[in-house]
Amino acid sequence: MAAIETSSANTAREASVLPLRPAVSPAAAALRQFCRSPSGVVGAVVLLVLILTTIFGPHFYSIDPLDIAGAPFTPPGEDAWLGTDYLGRDILAGLIYGGRATLTVGGVAAVITIMIGVTIGALAGFFGGAVDTALTKVTEFFQILPPLLFAMVLVTLFGQTLTTITIAIGVVSWTTAARLTRAEFLRLRNLDFVKASRAAGAGNGHLIWRVVLPNALPPIIVSATLAIGVAILFEGGLSFLGLGDPNTMSWGLMIGQNRNYVLDGWWTVTFPGAAIFVAVLAISLIGDGINDAINPRLRKRG
Amino acid sequence: MAPVLSVQNLTVSMKGDNSLVPVLENLSFDVAQGKTMALVGESGCGKSMTALAIMRLLPENFIIISGSITLDGEDVLAAAPAKLRGLRGNKMSMIFQEPMTALNPLYTVGDQIGEVLRQHRKLSRRDATEQAVNFLKAVQIPAAERRVHAYPHQLSGGMRQRVMIAMALACRPKLLIADEPTTALDVTVQAQIFDLLSQLQDETETAIVLITHDLGAVAELADDVAVLYAGRCIEQGASREIISHARHPYTRGLMACVPHLQLGPVASNTHGELAEIPGMVPPLGARGSDCAFLPRCAFAGEVCRSHPQPPLDRVDASAAVSCWRHQEIAP
Repeated sequence: MAAIETSSANTAREASVLPLRPAVSPAAAALRQFCRSPSGVVGAVVLLVLILTTIFGPHFYSIDPLDIAGAPFTPPGEDAWLGTDYLGRDILAGLIYGGRATLTVGGVAAVITIMIGVTIGALAGFFGGAVDTALTKVTEFFQILPPLLFAMVLVTLFGQTLTTITIAIGVVSWTTAARLTRAEFLRLRNLDFVKASRAAGAGNGHLIWRVVLPNALPPIIVSATLAIGVAILFEGGLSFLGLGDPNTMSWGLMIGQNRNYVLDGWWTVTFPGAAIFVAVLAISLIGDGINDAINPRLRKRG
Repeated sequence: MAPVLSVQNLTVSMKGDNSLVPVLENLSFDVAQGKTMALVGESGCGKSMTALAIMRLLPENFIIISGSITLDGEDVLAAAPAKLRGLRGNKMSMIFQEPMTALNPLYTVGDQIGEVLRQHRKLSRRDATEQAVNFLKAVQIPAAERRVHAYPHQLSGGMRQRVMIAMALACRPKLLIADEPTTALDVTVQAQIFDLLSQLQDETETAIVLITHDLGAVAELADDVAVLYAGRCIEQGASREIISHARHPYTRGLMACVPHLQLGPVASNTHGELAEIPGMVPPLGARGSDCAFLPRCAFAGEVCRSHPQPPLDRVDASAAVSCWRHQEIAP
């Protein structure tokens, strides 16, 4: 019996005739694509310079940022390259040492943000039903609290240390990541390859972390990158409001402590402000580059 | 010898608002080692639901009301989740309809075949990859040593389906469920996949439940057939018998819908037109106790309208049919 079935997969067979190209892992392909994005590369270079400066800068510039190095409000010049603040502390030293704290707070807070957000979003999106409802309610609860106010309360309650500030930033800003992850999981959990994995005997843990999550990563990576920038701004904001860690120099703290003297010495706040601006801009550019690299719909045809 | 898979009186319902809508009713069949059972019917007849029920992978709002499913002496319906995970991919596995989407795009095919072995056979990553190469060879993928490192998007549809088959058979399961394994493939590739399945079945003695629209494949591959209509089995028996001597009007209708290739000028009287079965499968919830095929049946008579659908009636040693008028239709 000759049964005829129509099929739209006519092109499928031709592909098998093509010579086999070397396999490129999706991560390697994304990295290659990232290197082609001008904004991403510029951002990465700038951020790398900032990081290297904060790591190695102290070896070349040995003035303690908390020491009084000159007269207060020394303008930028030979005595102090970038001037001194209201107490006579060296601004350049503050930038170099303070970058360490600022960038670390940004990075660690972003990690906390993503860990909480991804875990809650993944569980909600994967299991659905009552679990989803409960976790979405929790997310919504955190979402309606004004984040800056909430962080201020946490820092006031638990002390003005860098650790508290970092955790506070993470705790108030994970909701976006949770919603994003949940949406991705809702989309992915019913796809065929997830069903096929389940049919091959995979348990929920394996399905969540090894099957669905890697496929949900692209937007999460972008959001994680941007979360670093947001966390840096947050730290700046808290410090500006006087809730920074007074014992650790950071860019935010510099602005916060000198904010009353803007008119007496513009350099006291302008340079740390510029540092934050440049760092956050670099991170946003990187986020943009990553987005271009892993989101094929936005990718320009070359 | 006891059958590998025994499904008895399986009834599955969908949870609606305050009510249960039957999806599958009283389905029973056995599959012996090395044999193939085909489930045939239009879309929406409950074929895939049967497969998912056997794998215990039914969507949340579908529940098994009654019946039993026994796999190799093991009660599948009573198995705890951990036990089930041990069965899936190991003693029973499944091939899906869409090879384009059934493989994870982020892992190489070797990783994906190896994953099954690592989970069920506790192989190391290296051994698993080595085995994966062997399985790719077994499903006749050329340059298996290199393809094992390929990502799914680098393979054609037919190749991906071969990879799916390799994954499904990696642990030498007792039962393989193939849910329309060739629907998404090119005609020539379809034949290759069916050949491959039957060849592998000869080697491994796997029992196969084949879900398909393709009656040609049924004739070639299947030992037994169950024709489903609206969640009910309306004809069941040896495939040779059913293909050559269909008794139920629905089965006959399906057979008439298979196009035949003819060489030479089209004879004017045959017109070259395809047959069709008028109407549609009644939607869920609109199925009464009378024959579900009644509204579409050309042979429907008074007896059909005044009685509920008859149970499967064993008409001879190798066939059973559920129709009041089968003796008049196909004596």
